[in-house]
Amino acid sequence: MPIVVDLYIPRQSWAHAIDPRVKLLFVASAILVLLVFNNLFILLGALLLLHLIHWSARIPFQKIKFVWKTLLPVMLLISALWILFYPTGTPILQIWIIKITPLAIAQGLVLAMRILSMALAVFAWLYTTDQPSLVRSIVKMGLPYEWGLVLALALRYIPTFQGTYSLISEAQQARGLDISSGTGFRRVRMMMPIFVAMVISSLRASDQLAKALESRALGARGVRRTTLRDIHFRPVDYLYVVLILAITIGLLYLKFQYGLGVHSVNLM
Amino acid sequence: MSSQVGKKVIKNENISRNTEVTETINFSCLCDPLRVLRESPGSLFLLEYCQLTRQACLKAQDLWFAYEDSPVAALRGVSLTIGEGDFVALIGQNGSGKTTLAKHFNGLLRPTRGQVLLYGEDIRNRPVSTLARRVGYVFQNPDHQIFSPTTRDELAVGPRNLGLAETEVQRRVTETLASFGLKLYADRQPAALGFGLRRKISLATVFTMQTPILILDEPTTGLDYRSITELMELTRKLHHRGYTIILITHDMRVVAEYAPRCLVLRDGQILADGDTRTIFKQTDLLRETHLELPQISQLSRRMIPNGMPDDTLTVPEFCEAYSRLSH
Amino acid sequence: MLKDITLQVEAGEFVSIMGPTGVGKSTLCLALNGIVPQSTGGVIRGDVLVNGLNTKRHPVADLAQHVGVVFQEPETQLFNMTVEAELAFGLESIGTPREEILERIEWALALVGMRDFQQRSPFHLSGGQKQRVAIAAILAMTPKILVLDEPTASLDPRGKTEVFSVVRQLRQQHGMTIIMVEHESERIAEFSDRVIALKDGQIELEGSPAQVFAQVERMQDIGLAVPQVSELAYCLNRQLNTNFAFTQLEEAHNVLTSWQEGHQK
Repeated sequence: MPIVVDLYIPRQSWAHAIDPRVKLLFVASAILVLLVFNNLFILLGALLLLHLIHWSARIPFQKIKFVWKTLLPVMLLISALWILFYPTGTPILQIWIIKITPLAIAQGLVLAMRILSMALAVFAWLYTTDQPSLVRSIVKMGLPYEWGLVLALALRYIPTFQGTYSLISEAQQARGLDISSGTGFRRVRMMMPIFVAMVISSLRASDQLAKALESRALGARGVRRTTLRDIHFRPVDYLYVVLILAITIGLLYLKFQYGLGVHSVNLM
Repeated sequence: MSSQVGKKVIKNENISRNTEVTETINFSCLCDPLRVLRESPGSLFLLEYCQLTRQACLKAQDLWFAYEDSPVAALRGVSLTIGEGDFVALIGQNGSGKTTLAKHFNGLLRPTRGQVLLYGEDIRNRPVSTLARRVGYVFQNPDHQIFSPTTRDELAVGPRNLGLAETEVQRRVTETLASFGLKLYADRQPAALGFGLRRKISLATVFTMQTPILILDEPTTGLDYRSITELMELTRKLHHRGYTIILITHDMRVVAEYAPRCLVLRDGQILADGDTRTIFKQTDLLRETHLELPQISQLSRRMIPNGMPDDTLTVPEFCEAYSRLSH
Repeated sequence: MLKDITLQVEAGEFVSIMGPTGVGKSTLCLALNGIVPQSTGGVIRGDVLVNGLNTKRHPVADLAQHVGVVFQEPETQLFNMTVEAELAFGLESIGTPREEILERIEWALALVGMRDFQQRSPFHLSGGQKQRVAIAAILAMTPKILVLDEPTASLDPRGKTEVFSVVRQLRQQHGMTIIMVEHESERIAEFSDRVIALKDGQIELEGSPAQVFAQVERMQDIGLAVPQVSELAYCLNRQLNTNFAFTQLEEAHNVLTSWQEGHQK
């Protein structure tokens, strides 16, 4: 049964009311800042700030947990790899040739927090923006309508494909396919029937969708497409833009001019 | 004596050496000397044995089920018994729990409460791939099952998954191609064939696994009249050969013509369970569940004051009864 | 795939098309709004004229305003997050002003009996409701002709009834020209002015429901169902040497009751 139907969570909050373009700017700035800074404390601060944003936007705890759950494996993997293979400074523990150093641990944590923060920033945008607004924001920034539509359709059909995947998986299991056993390459081979059936199913579905779209006059030439629910910049949205730009530029300036966040834990 | 029985079974099934199944099935219905059995894929022995002792092959006891994210239970206290060789139709609207119930029979879903017994054994902890040896499930959408480059390969998937010897696999494939009338399409790609054929192929792929129990989930949706008739006649033939058939459908005409017994479901409960003729007389019940009698049954009931019977199921029956009235 | 189909449909007519799976019924539907051949490729010999417009020469998006096509699967023809957005999509595509969009949405939803469903998500609707939304989304563009390609094939009986009621209403109260591909012969007998049976890509039978469904043997030869009462008429005619030709339940009831009374005197 598909659970995630729409990433958008309808709520009345300051975050929901912001123009989606501003939110997109926020995501871009956040990612930039997160990539530039390598400082453990700054990243921790960013992570906390993002949680604060989600909480004040009335995003349910379950949804925040969802982001954590999805990213935890990647976070753990990357931290572990870094800690094991990039030891710098004096080791506090040594197992055979693997050295564990505090600096490496700190950097591993930074990497993990960076990924999580970037995801939280993106989800802050997706959780608080409904599909038509998403499409509209992309169009109003000058990109072709079809791009926005493609994004919206992709998001809309995720749960459908999740559902198709479970059905196909069940159908193959009912023919004796054992998906629980086996490791590595063998496991991949066992997933082949499911994979092929998914591809065929997707092709069929996209064919049908294309016909439906055409039957609703998509691509009508000589007419400008209108919008039922449009998005508009409010005065406070301009303020947010200024704020985001100021903070981002400020932080970058502080780092490159004055070495903010560089001297305390020098990792790179 | 039990070891002799075990050997006999393995020889009959002609399976390869490294697939000796080591599960031990504990049957409460068995008499003392045969307490321990060695199971073989296809379970023909089980089929014969249970037919001999007239055991129920499927039982649900006070079955409750709710999906993870749902506060409302999809199945609420369902109890039923399906005997060996039965032909049962599960009828009801979408959402009444028909498919949810059927998926418990092959382990795709596990009870939240209650039990599901297959040949007397609780199957709560048996993996689906093991249960697939005894319960075949033909899914509603054939495209969810089909993935092979040729029909021949597609039919071979099931038996191969069961670990049968290649010679046996090929034998079954050839036999199925013949009995399902698919010889012409043996080397064609199933995904490229028409919908009616894909439906047939999905039934055929489950059939090659020779499971004693067959569940058909809405096999007639989207099919034209001739394809429906072909498919149902095939099903009837399988039934006469001894297979137990569970048919999920809301096509009342098909139920009237082919299913001797039906179970009416609504909101996760069984409202009625009995022979089709009796169930079709309960018009209030059927109206409650938004199920309409086939046109001919409706006409017959309208003409009860004129002497027509109240339980006509097919056109020939009506014709017969009406002619008799007028002579 | 389709051979030599010559067909003329008058305004306000209700034509039902029956045929075995794979005979080309969907292709025929798509030929009516230009998707065949413009998007699917292939060649059409001869012309398809819709309201006087040639489907080979006018873009599909233009033809979509004259003929609307409703498909079988709700899942792939409802691609928006709300019912309102779904109905607005087509209107936005053709540049309808905002206020008019809102009016048309209300009107179309009322037509299919789903007023006040604007903010609902199509995901949580029943099969019958989903198909009705699909029909409303097409109706909002006010096409003169409505084509339905097996609209109830994936629905349960309740859903089928819902959709057929809408179709009946559109026919009776709004005089739309409707072309419907279906297998449900009994419903077809109820609604249609004309029935067309296809076989091997050609028109095999054509006529009023009474004419077509009386030919039980030919229909069975093609592999198509006739209403059970028509089958009964055929059966009784052979047994009792009568000339019954009913295609609907009421009709059958009346005829059989009076015949019986007549013969008991």
